[in-house]
Amino acid sequence: MAICTGCSLLCEDIVAALENGAFSHVKNLCRKGHSHFQAAFTERTVPMIDGEKVDLDRAIAKAAEILKSAKSPLLYGWSNSTLEAQAAGIRLAEKLGATIDDTSSFCQGILTERILSGKIPTCTLDDVRNYADTTIFWGSDPSSSHPRHLSRFSYYPRGEKRQKSYEEERTCIAVDVRKSATAKLCSNYYFRVAPGGDAQFMEAILAVLEGKIPKVGDKKKMIELSSVLKKTEWGAIFPGLGMIYSLQDNMELFERLLAKLNEITTFKVIPMVGHYNMRGFNELMLEKTGFINRVSFKDGAVAHGPEHSALAAAKTCDTALVIGSDPLSALPFGTARALARQPLIAIDPRRSLTTDAAKVVIPSAISGLEAGGTAVRMDGVTIKFEPIIGTLLLSDEQIITRIMEAI
Amino acid sequence: MASEVAVTIVTVRDIFQDEAGRKSRFSDEYKNLSALIILDKQDLAQLGAKDGQKLLVKNDVGSVIVAARTSEDDAHPGLAFMYNSPWSNQLVSDDVCDGSIPGNKRIKATLSIAEGNVTQISELQARMQS
Repeated sequence: MAICTGCSLLCEDIVAALENGAFSHVKNLCRKGHSHFQAAFTERTVPMIDGEKVDLDRAIAKAAEILKSAKSPLLYGWSNSTLEAQAAGIRLAEKLGATIDDTSSFCQGILTERILSGKIPTCTLDDVRNYADTTIFWGSDPSSSHPRHLSRFSYYPRGEKRQKSYEEERTCIAVDVRKSATAKLCSNYYFRVAPGGDAQFMEAILAVLEGKIPKVGDKKKMIELSSVLKKTEWGAIFPGLGMIYSLQDNMELFERLLAKLNEITTFKVIPMVGHYNMRGFNELMLEKTGFINRVSFKDGAVAHGPEHSALAAAKTCDTALVIGSDPLSALPFGTARALARQPLIAIDPRRSLTTDAAKVVIPSAISGLEAGGTAVRMDGVTIKFEPIIGTLLLSDEQIITRIMEAI
Repeated sequence: MASEVAVTIVTVRDIFQDEAGRKSRFSDEYKNLSALIILDKQDLAQLGAKDGQKLLVKNDVGSVIVAARTSEDDAHPGLAFMYNSPWSNQLVSDDVCDGSIPGNKRIKATLSIAEGNVTQISELQARMQS
């Protein structure tokens, strides 16, 4: 069996047979996972300096030289790297006095931080499969982001206490600004909110749970929702970026809603983390620095704050090492342009906008397919994996270690 | 009919666009699934535009030419959707709030009928280097 590192579900039941350097047969992969596996054979990077192909040793030496001479380097990415590579990255940041940050900084970090500190109750996906009778997809659309979430854990499976499953025992609720693929599945329990309207909707739920008249939404439908929530034996909420971006710094309201729900019954939360090991980076950083992301090691001290987020540091750094990420595709234009103007070092298995703009490109093995290691699933479960394709390419961990040795 | 229509754009995900991006960021398939804006029928009618019409989407941050797609959702005039991509990111401000969360979910922009073709990925790359 292989592990799919296409998303943070880290599906462990993948069957993949190789023949003549290509997959001849695969089983259990979703659409996203299938493209992740097939992408192993297209648009692979080669070692490059200034757009010219070089040997790997030269590319690593050049990366080390750039980082060594930098006054304020940024080390960014990490959510698509193993725990072993992330640990090496944190050591490199310490050695360089660099800023280190990952994609959680403007993704699920704000929620993951509260989960790791115990402010928000959580559980495993296996608990959800076994016990959940109500699941709420709030600003998330697993049918697009985590395609096997519903079938493996949150809606369709017959769990220990949910043998009658979706036909009789599970209710799914969607709160979203649009009728997403997942919201269509929730049909009667789809609640449309305006952009930025999630806080108001939370207030409305709190009101109906307390027997008051809600200020927003269809009153009859809100009372029905209140009834479903109150009858829930064991519920789970899966917040996506829709909720996070809408609430912004008003996460206390979500905590209030959870406290109220848990006065009545049991409700747990699992953030819909995107990249396969974002949570691993957060846990590792918390252990090593006391913060889950946005850390600077400048002058040998640990400093944390929004000024050390990748979005801010992109404009103040004098070089950036980007690993397993494509910020030039994924970040706001101003941030992408600021990064593109720096001497960029890109460590990536595949061509991207970031590798195209990089001064130095270092090709890496794809974790889970060509490199083994350890990662943390979205719910905090640690998963080990072995490579299934032989390669001469170095893993992220080996590349970071080589750069550190060269420095 | 109006020459310009103001909308709030929310960026969202789509499994098919995600799949295309994993295969290649530089393919026509990825461009065709990314360089588009999903609009309510009323907004399209106001512009006198049809499904597939090329529209200029612009705001204080930047501009991009994308194809219009008619929404299949319940009516949502004034609210548009784009998939997360280098095209939508042309319009996202990085002037973040204290939580360092960018404005992907509430992009204010105006739409008008475009003269040219959909913005190419190579042009977006050139803008970053400029």
